[in-house]
Amino acid sequence: MEWSVCGESGRYKVNLLESDGSVSATPISRDGDELDIGKISVRPDGKPGRAIVELGGATKLAHVARSGDSWWVHVDGRAHEIRFHEQGSKGPSYSDGSLTAPMPGTILELLVKQGQRVRQGQSLVVLEAMKMEHRISAPKAGEITKLHYDKGDRVEMGSVLIEIGD
Amino acid sequence: MTPRWMSESPRPFSKVLVANRGEIAVRVLQAAREAGLIGVAVYSENDSSSLHVELADESVLLEGDDLDSTYLNAEAIIEAARRCGADALHPGYGFLSERADFARQVEDAGILWIGPPADAIETMGDKISARSLMIQSGVPVIPGEQIPVEEGADHLGPLASAAAKVGYPLLIKASAGGGGKGMRSVSEPKNLRTEFEAAAREASAAFGDGTVYIEKLLSRARHVEIQVLCDSLGGAIHLNERDCSLQRRYQKVIEEAPSPALNSAVREAMGEAAVTAARSVNYVGAGTVEFLLSSNGQFYFLEMNTRIQVEHPVTEMTSGVDLVQKQFEVASGLPVGILQSEVTQNGHSIEARIYAEDPGSGFLPSTGRLVMWRPPSGPGTRVDSGVREGDEVTIDYDPMLAKLIVHAPSRNAAIRRLYTALSDFVVLGVRTNIEFLRNALSHDSFLSGGVDTDFLDSTDSSELSGDEPDGPFLTAIAASAQRLGLDSEPSSAAESVDDHTGHVGDPFRTLRRTFP
Repeated sequence: MEWSVCGESGRYKVNLLESDGSVSATPISRDGDELDIGKISVRPDGKPGRAIVELGGATKLAHVARSGDSWWVHVDGRAHEIRFHEQGSKGPSYSDGSLTAPMPGTILELLVKQGQRVRQGQSLVVLEAMKMEHRISAPKAGEITKLHYDKGDRVEMGSVLIEIGD
Repeated sequence: MTPRWMSESPRPFSKVLVANRGEIAVRVLQAAREAGLIGVAVYSENDSSSLHVELADESVLLEGDDLDSTYLNAEAIIEAARRCGADALHPGYGFLSERADFARQVEDAGILWIGPPADAIETMGDKISARSLMIQSGVPVIPGEQIPVEEGADHLGPLASAAAKVGYPLLIKASAGGGGKGMRSVSEPKNLRTEFEAAAREASAAFGDGTVYIEKLLSRARHVEIQVLCDSLGGAIHLNERDCSLQRRYQKVIEEAPSPALNSAVREAMGEAAVTAARSVNYVGAGTVEFLLSSNGQFYFLEMNTRIQVEHPVTEMTSGVDLVQKQFEVASGLPVGILQSEVTQNGHSIEARIYAEDPGSGFLPSTGRLVMWRPPSGPGTRVDSGVREGDEVTIDYDPMLAKLIVHAPSRNAAIRRLYTALSDFVVLGVRTNIEFLRNALSHDSFLSGGVDTDFLDSTDSSELSGDEPDGPFLTAIAASAQRLGLDSEPSSAAESVDDHTGHVGDPFRTLRRTFP
């Protein structure tokens, strides 16, 4: 089992030890490198979706919930999504050069052609959803290797719209 | 039976249909119950288990699977009112609330329209005619070109010459617009055509009318609006201002009252201008006159919203006036019942709009199930929401999940209260802008009261994104929660008496064993 935190790029592995109904995570490694973060232990507080987290002798409450392949954690006033992956599975969608639809909608305009070179952040597609136009930009610089849809097509969330090569 | 408070009303009513959904339908239905009225909800198939339906005394299904056949279907909604015997209709905001023809149809069907007269909606709804009327009435307007650019016509010539007259940077606005839809800024001539086309397209899609006009873009301006309340007997007052300068792409994000940028002289002048604007269209009910306040203290009429506003709670908190109740009262023919001299502005109130959107990927709407939804509470904290835990957030409707409103004695105290309430708001399963709101709220520019409408769009996103998440710490919690099976509902008592501790439903033991 590997983990990734949304908003970050690394992959984590965690070794869990159990004692007295509490789970300690140690050690934790990111992309194969072991991290020294001290001992973090977690125990339920008896109500669903709540966990007591202990770090460096102090405890705090976290709210946790699972949805699909993600765990959502609210701690220190912020919510985070943490995904779990089968060992060795491919990385999150943005890293492999394909651009997926972040939500269902209709393609209003394609701003690039196959073979065109684009810079990072350049607008590629205008997608309409919820009556608003959203510009989708290139996650990295490169050459457009494939356009999967035409203007006017409806796309589902997660559909691969465009592939960008190096 | 009409409620007792309506016994002197010329046009009493007893059963109100709310032609809306989400938080505003909930707000109005709740107010109807408090007022002793019977509340009727309308809903589409995919809203059948939504909160507003649950709160209504009765509800009527609008058949069909798109907006045009449901919440935008005037005939079906009026038919629903007829069928259940509703004698009044509240449109909320958005949807049909600013359609003059709908207001007329409702009245023609013998149903009381809880809103301004259709003529007032029509005049103010067409931004071009509203501008002309304001100029006549002596209300200052933004320099601009009122030559309408009709959709489909050969637009580029008139557009370019109008643009040249107004000068860059300029703003293209939908004549029928509102809520930032169909509005685009243009900084230089070469972008005029693309932005015009995008504005016209959005305006067509959102309002069924692609007519746009051009206005000078005032930079470093604030958005300050005045709440007005008028009755059918000629009474008209204002309830002071709301400052909605914190915007993203012309969508309001945080609103507050009073405005940190108004002194009492400007406040009074703006209030008078708003009442003049309302009187010029013989307004009845609750309405909002929006102004842009330039950095030198001049203010200009932007538009009048002829309906209840999303951000109305901050006025309620500081004035102590229940605006929806007042809408009921003046619709029934009663006077406003408050003199201008009796209007107070007590303490400070701030509202933050909680959206299902992902600030990390360009604020695109996010979807999913609200696996956990725990709104904050406490003195001075109010949550107006149309969702509850377990609800599915889809792209079918507006992504606003809730409004978090606080009230405190001072602006600083209100900011601290809102920051704390945002931190305590637990929303899991769907990405939200809560963290973004916390960061915007604690930005020096907001704290000093100095933000203008460009602030969010011109500030580097790194200043508003907060600290990097603590990946190892979060991973440790998530992995441990998985091992402990903390997502599960507590198992039922019979099968979960733990053989070690003897405790019923002890989650330590029973769940651990299910994990490989």
